[in-house]
Amino acid sequence: MKLFSSYNRILSIITLSGLLIIGFLFYQTLGQYINKQIDDHLYEELLEVQDFAHVKNILPSPDGFYDVVVKYKKINSLSDPRRSFADTNFYNPKKKHTESARYLRTQLVLDGQSYEITIMASKFERQEQIKSIILIILLPVLALLLVLWLVNRFLIKRMWLPFRQLLANIKAFNINQEKVFEPIHTNIEEFKELNKAVLDVSLKAKSDYREVKLFTENASHEMMTPLAVINSKLDTMLQSNTLGKEESEILNDLYKATSKLTKLNQSLLLLVKIDNNQLQDKTEINLKTLLQEKLAYFQEFIQERNLEVKTEMAEFSFYANQSLMEVLVNNLLSNTIRHNYDGGSIQITLMPDCLICSNTSTHGPLDPVKIFERFYKDSASDGTGLGLAILKQVCLRQNYELSYSYQQQQHHFKIIFNGQESKT
Amino acid sequence: MKFLIVEDEEGLRKSIDQYLTAEGNICDSASNYDQGYQKLSIYDYDCILLDLTLPDGEGLQLLKHLKKINKADGVLIISARNSLDQKIEGLSLGADDYLIKPFHLSELYARVLAIVRRRNFNGNSIIQFNELEIDTVSKETKVNGQLVYLTRKESDLLLYFVSNKNKVISKNAAVEHIWGDEADMAYSFNFIYTHIKNLRKKLTDVGCKDYFHSVYGIGYKFTEA
Repeated sequence: MKLFSSYNRILSIITLSGLLIIGFLFYQTLGQYINKQIDDHLYEELLEVQDFAHVKNILPSPDGFYDVVVKYKKINSLSDPRRSFADTNFYNPKKKHTESARYLRTQLVLDGQSYEITIMASKFERQEQIKSIILIILLPVLALLLVLWLVNRFLIKRMWLPFRQLLANIKAFNINQEKVFEPIHTNIEEFKELNKAVLDVSLKAKSDYREVKLFTENASHEMMTPLAVINSKLDTMLQSNTLGKEESEILNDLYKATSKLTKLNQSLLLLVKIDNNQLQDKTEINLKTLLQEKLAYFQEFIQERNLEVKTEMAEFSFYANQSLMEVLVNNLLSNTIRHNYDGGSIQITLMPDCLICSNTSTHGPLDPVKIFERFYKDSASDGTGLGLAILKQVCLRQNYELSYSYQQQQHHFKIIFNGQESKT
Repeated sequence: MKFLIVEDEEGLRKSIDQYLTAEGNICDSASNYDQGYQKLSIYDYDCILLDLTLPDGEGLQLLKHLKKINKADGVLIISARNSLDQKIEGLSLGADDYLIKPFHLSELYARVLAIVRRRNFNGNSIIQFNELEIDTVSKETKVNGQLVYLTRKESDLLLYFVSNKNKVISKNAAVEHIWGDEADMAYSFNFIYTHIKNLRKKLTDVGCKDYFHSVYGIGYKFTEA
């Protein structure tokens, strides 16, 4: 729920219930006040009746009253001489409908005969008055509330504007990109503070991230020289004339491990390089030609595994960095070959703006998120576990859309080259 | 031939020295900028192996100095940094080749020989090994004057082995020479076997002696004996 809605909900509950209670009390008070007025009037009429009876010794004619109805009823004995006021309904013969009314009932004795006198006054007009009064008061109050609500809404929207901007800027912030967090301009103290805090955090995150990258880069570089020493010593040992079968096997394993370590280091360095946007100069790349070149390059690997390569390639040229595209195609193709089975197939589909590499594999569907993580690989693979991570990083940097899916027993890697001006 | 190795890492310097000397070359070495500066100023070398990061200076400065004093020594940069910019800078400053650490000594030697060959102004691009004759420019291979048709990879491989004759070349080194960065693929060792088998067959078919010798499954040696 939005802050404004939550605030509004509470506010409207309070306002409405307040309005109801006040309205009810107001109505009650007004009603009682009016009852009292009618009662006074009824009492005056009663006094008139009593005076009349006292002077003339007869009861006045019921028709002689204006705006009240007077009834007499003979009763046997005086039971309750007190005056009692109460509400009732009566049929107004002039208006021909029932109206609510107020009556005064009392008893009196005239010439030894007890009478019950009921004087009744219509409340209709008074009620109409109450209604008008309430409407006159309530309507402006409601209008005022509505105006307040609108003003509130507008004001809050305006006041939260810097917050929205701040949020958008935070969302736009990417630790990977060169662009720093963009602070907002506002006079509101709270937002200023938030802005500053976010700015500080973003700068800290950026510098930490840079340090980590720098560390990776330096560590990898520093390792290259010792690796070169190991490699050269192995090469020297290899020249020894006393090399037996056992030593040769050891040497072989050492070569393999060194080569893997080298490859790993190179991949890490490549990742850092892509991260740092160091490969920027773009040239026109004909992806179809590049794919064909790389397929020829991998030809032996494909033949060795007896893989069937199906290609369906349209012409597609666009501007990109040559090295990055080579890395991309290399990784995609070597992936389809590496994780295939002997006699399997590879399908390469190139459409303008979109490249799909599919391959058969002994593996079932893979986790589409995890496969792009660094060092994620199955135990049987002797790769570095960085190939797909590099692929993802290349795509991320160039805003290409990389996705993985598993359909019809085939793994599909799809790259959509977003925002490229196709030159076909 | 005479070489200068400018490299601060002692282990690496020694190995290179040993490998090159065993081929009958003369090697000078310098472990820092100053030594390198002095040696390349005074003597002439066929090729200088130059490390770019030295404890007391930049290797590229040595290269600049070399060009300033108008020396025509060949230069092979050996660097731990696989950076395109540095590569371009080095090559534009007059280096002949750029080799990234770590490397195989056989690769290093093949490159050094290629540099020396290119630098050889007599235009002698032919390498002769008994009845075998390789033209490094036209990539043609002849046995007793008869042309042998080799694929690009096969002729690359042959040149590599001939350059490092009498040396054991590990399969690893051979694979990396042919496939470069993508050499980590499984099966790649099988291809080297296949390539060498084909190469041997093509050469022996036209009457060339089989100079390839397998060494305990770890590699091959191209030698007369």
